[in-house]
Amino acid sequence: MKRSAAEILREYGPFPGVDRVHGVTYDGQNVWFAAGDTLNALDPESGKTLRTIDVAAHAGTAFDGQHLFQIAEDRIQKIDPETGRVLTTIPAPGGGGDSGLAWAEGTLWVGVYRDRKIHQVDPETGAILRTIETSRFVTGVTWVDGELWHGTWEGDESDLRHIDPRTGEVLERLEMPLGVGVSGLESDGHDQFFCGDGSRSKVRAVRRPKRASTGSSR
Amino acid sequence: MDSLITAAARALAAGDPLGALNRVALRDDAPALALRGIAMAQLGDLVRAKALLRSAARAFGPREAVARARCVVAEAEIALVSRDLTWPAKALDAARATLEAHGDRVNAAHARYLEVRRLLLIGRLDQAEHLLADLDPTPFPPALRTAHELVVAGIAMRRLRTETARAALTRAEDAARRAGIPGLTAEVESAARILATPAARLMARGMERPLLLEEVEALQTTSVLVVDACRHVVRNAGTVVSLARRPVLFALARALAEAWPGDVPRGTLVARAFRAKHADESHRARLRVEVGRLRATLRTLAGVSATKRGFVLVPRHAGEIVVLARPVEEPHAAVLAFLADGESWSSSALALALGASQRTVQRALDALAAADKVQSFGRGRARRWMTPPVPGFTTTLLLPAPLPGD
Repeated sequence: MKRSAAEILREYGPFPGVDRVHGVTYDGQNVWFAAGDTLNALDPESGKTLRTIDVAAHAGTAFDGQHLFQIAEDRIQKIDPETGRVLTTIPAPGGGGDSGLAWAEGTLWVGVYRDRKIHQVDPETGAILRTIETSRFVTGVTWVDGELWHGTWEGDESDLRHIDPRTGEVLERLEMPLGVGVSGLESDGHDQFFCGDGSRSKVRAVRRPKRASTGSSR
Repeated sequence: MDSLITAAARALAAGDPLGALNRVALRDDAPALALRGIAMAQLGDLVRAKALLRSAARAFGPREAVARARCVVAEAEIALVSRDLTWPAKALDAARATLEAHGDRVNAAHARYLEVRRLLLIGRLDQAEHLLADLDPTPFPPALRTAHELVVAGIAMRRLRTETARAALTRAEDAARRAGIPGLTAEVESAARILATPAARLMARGMERPLLLEEVEALQTTSVLVVDACRHVVRNAGTVVSLARRPVLFALARALAEAWPGDVPRGTLVARAFRAKHADESHRARLRVEVGRLRATLRTLAGVSATKRGFVLVPRHAGEIVVLARPVEEPHAAVLAFLADGESWSSSALALALGASQRTVQRALDALAAADKVQSFGRGRARRWMTPPVPGFTTTLLLPAPLPGD
C-alpha cells in the first residue's frame, strides 16, 4: 500500500449560508455540493457559486451525465438539474446511515458511514447488488479510470483511499491534514479530486497521483 | 457524517428536538445516542438525557476522542442544570484537556465554565474566581460570552461588588441578545432582578427597613458594627468574626444587637439561644458559659457587659450596632436561600453547599415541605427539591455538538 500526504491544490469557500459540506459531485463543468437544504453549483475556475437548488441534501451527491442524485435522510433523490425537481426517490441502502454517493457502470455506489461498507445499488429500485467491506468509516465514494476511491473520516483523521473493489483491500492512501474531515468525494475524471469538508464551509481540490499510463475514462 | 445524523443535527440546531428525535429514535450508534441525549435534555427529560449521553460516550470509538469528550461535557452540563453537584469534576477536566489538545477551544471553554459555575454554586468563590481569571472571553461566541459575564456577575454579587456585577450584567445582556437564545436573555434578566430586589433587612434601634444589594455593600464601608444574619458573621470595618458553625453564640449576638443600645433580660437570652420556655438554674449557668465564650470570640469588636437584669453589647470602635437579616425570615432560611435560585436541588447537593449534614438538611426539607414552602419530585437518589411554583428547568443548556469535526 502506498501512503502519502494529500496535496491540496485549492480551497473553495467559505460559502455564505453554508455551515458544512455533506456531499460533492462534478458534472464536467461545475462542482455540485450538498449543504443541508441546498445543492449548489460551484465553478471550479472562478470559485463562484453559480446556482442553488432548494432540496434536502444531507449526505452524498452524484451525477449520471444527466441527473443529480442526492441522499436526504434515508432515501436517494433523483433530481433534474435544470428544474431542480425531484423526479423519483429510492430507499438508501444504509437506512439513513448512508454518507457517500457515486455513479459508475450504470449503478449507484453508496458509502455507509459507521457500517464501513460500500453498497452497489440498482438506481431504479434501490436493490443492493453487492457490498464491499472496508476498514474505516466511509464518507465519499468515487470512481475514476476504473479505480474505486473513498473518503474516510473517523474522529480527527481523514484520508482518501484507493481500494480494490473486489476485496476491499487498500491500495493507496492520501492522508488529509489532521482535523480536516472529508465528507464528500468526487474526481474530475482526470487528475483532481474534489472533497467536501464535513465540519466547515469548504470544498477542496486534491491532486490525484499520476499514473504511468492513463487508462480509459470511466 | 451520515445522512440521518446530519438531518437530525440540523433539526436540533434549528430548535426542533422532536424533529431530531424522529430521525434517530430507533438508532443506537454513538452519534445517534448523543443526538438523542441532547434532544431529550432540551425537552427536559434530564434523567434519560444523561443515560443516553453516557452510553454515547461509551459507544464512540478510540479514534473519536473529541466526540466522546463532548458527550462528557454535555453530561456535566445536565448534571449542573439538575443540581447534581457531586458529579465527578475529574472526568470533566479530562474531557476539557482532550478538547483543548484537539483544538476545539470553544467546547473546551464551555467545559471550563461548567466547572466555574459548579464552584460558584457550592460557594467556592476563590476557586471559581481563580479559574475564571485564566479565561479571556473575547474570542468566544455570544452564548459563551453570556455565560462568562453571568459567572462574573454571580461572583461579584456574592462578594457584594454591585458595580462590577452591574457592568457584567450589561455585557451579558448584550451578548445574550447577539446569541439570540431567549432562555439566555431570560437568565440575564432574572440575574439582573436580584440587584433591584431587596437583598436583606436592616434592623437598627428597633426599626426595620429593606436593603438593596448595593446598600448592603455600602454598609460594609461604614464604621457600623453589623451582626449579619444572612451569613452568620459579626463584622466591623474589615474585621469579620464568623459564627456560622456556632449557632448558640450567633443567636446571643443577634439578640443583643437587636436590643442595642438596650440590654436583654437573661430569660429572653435563654429562650433565644437554647429555645427553652423557662429559664432554670442550669440554663442560667449555661448562659454564663456561653456569654463568656461570646465575649472571647467578639473580643476585638465588642464587649458583653452584665447588667442588672441581663447583658448588653458594647461596641469597641463603632458608634452603632445593626442587624442584617434575610428579607423574609422563616425557619431553615439558609436552605430556602439556596432553593431561591429557582433550580432543583438534591438534598446531598444542598448539604454540600450548606456545609451541613445530609440528615440536618433532610429534616429541614421535610419541615419546609410540610409547610408547603418547598416541593420535591423524583424518588430515592434522584429526588430533587425546589421552591414552588415550579419555574421549570433552565433552558440555558448550551450542550456542545456531539459530531466529529468542527
